[in-house]
Amino acid sequence: MAQASFDRRRINGPEESHPPIFDDAENLFWTLGQSRKARNPTDIRPIFLQPGLIDQANGSAYVETERTKIACAVYGPRQSKNNAYNEKGKLNVEVKFAPFSCGHRKAPIRDAEDRSLAMAIHQALVPSVRLELLPKSTIDVFLTIIEADGMEGCIASGVVAASTALADAGVEMLGLVMSCASSIVGREIWLDPTEGEAQLAKGTLVLSCMPAVNTVTSVWQSGQMSLGEVSECMDACHERCTDIHFVVAQALRDHV
Amino acid sequence: GKDGGRIVCTVACSPSAYPHLSSSALDDIQADLTSLLHQTISHSSLHPSNLTILKSKKSWLLNLDVLVLSDAGNILDALFMASRAALWDTRVPRTRGVEYKAPTRKDTGKDKEDMNVDEDEHENAQKQSGFDTRVLPKATDFELPDYWDEGEVLDGRERWPVAITLNIESPTHFLDATAQEEAASPLKLLLAFSFHDGQPAVLQGMRMLGPGELTPSHLKELVKVGENYARELFVALNAKLKDEDVRRTQKARERFELHR
Repeated sequence: MAQASFDRRRINGPEESHPPIFDDAENLFWTLGQSRKARNPTDIRPIFLQPGLIDQANGSAYVETERTKIACAVYGPRQSKNNAYNEKGKLNVEVKFAPFSCGHRKAPIRDAEDRSLAMAIHQALVPSVRLELLPKSTIDVFLTIIEADGMEGCIASGVVAASTALADAGVEMLGLVMSCASSIVGREIWLDPTEGEAQLAKGTLVLSCMPAVNTVTSVWQSGQMSLGEVSECMDACHERCTDIHFVVAQALRDHV
Repeated sequence: GKDGGRIVCTVACSPSAYPHLSSSALDDIQADLTSLLHQTISHSSLHPSNLTILKSKKSWLLNLDVLVLSDAGNILDALFMASRAALWDTRVPRTRGVEYKAPTRKDTGKDKEDMNVDEDEHENAQKQSGFDTRVLPKATDFELPDYWDEGEVLDGRERWPVAITLNIESPTHFLDATAQEEAASPLKLLLAFSFHDGQPAVLQGMRMLGPGELTPSHLKELVKVGENYARELFVALNAKLKDEDVRRTQKARERFELHR
């Protein structure tokens, strides 16, 4: 308590402050039996993808899906700072949330949420990049989340952005990695849940795969889901990933 | 506190467990294990119902802290097993709501203090009977009638998940890898299953860890196979925990008998 700057010469503001609570325009009053608001359960939000956003980076991409906005920059392959010899290259993923990206202000220090998101994206990307062709090198992928709409949405859009940026940078890959999030709400599968929808859900699953080679690179599941539901979610996500792949490939082709 | 209580899990890694890692790498491993454990265990689907003390005023915060002293491989299975055992053991202290009431005084009160008090109490009893359920007492604070290890068992102790890590070396897989085996086979699939009595198994968490890829069909097959392993682990762990319960109550009874 004594730590607070009690400056006797000045008028001190309150010790604690809270962000204002706004009346949410879209009230997610959902009850069992109601259908999803504004979308079909198997619809994902439209994706806006722009490669080549940042000129000074080797490759970059900007992804926007309704409320999730992620900018990604790729630097590399460049020499590893490590003196030790690595016969395979390293993929380094760093994620940063802008302080205004979530409902509550996030301090600009690096915290556990940044790291867990970075690990999830790294997990999804690493099997696709041909690191064995890049000894002693590092590829840096920097993601900045300008606005976040739930963790699952961030992982999915982040993977798409990073993969596009890697392709834009000309890094050799086995295929583009696409990712889709899903949630089980009531008895239905809702794809691409927003933050509010993910909180209603009893379980969420994010699948990252390479549609070109038909392999799954990462699965991230949390919450309660039966085995049948898991299987259905994975199939639904896989289908969507193929659609997203088409969109991304088109955007890259148009950009070049 | 948040209504309904909160569960916070943290994992601390002693440097003795990972002597070859720098302190920043150690912090990273700690953060990874913490987020994995926390996201699985504190998910709302597993939330116990008896962590509230006073509705919308006070609730319990459950801190689950795991300390890794030595790691010889397969740390994730061990983490979840330890967490399950600890949560099985947890008891929530019983509380009693306490209400503060200011005594009212009659206008024409007598001077004698003691008589006043008696009259007032009598007065109060007439105005607001304890049996009057139309006016619910608003408890503002609580007291603990229990101490030490008494209290009610944490709700939903059957549901805490059991994790199994399948180390994948396509097309096969193996369990319980030692440190060298983990280094040789870096691709892992972590499955956390929760078994309710009589109901089919439910997946509480699934992660693919490490570099590598799987075909969707292979992944589904692994999930099925993983369920069987997890079920065996669950049965064995439960047997051990029940044994421990029995041993404790028996020992306590014997000790009581001795001291009589």
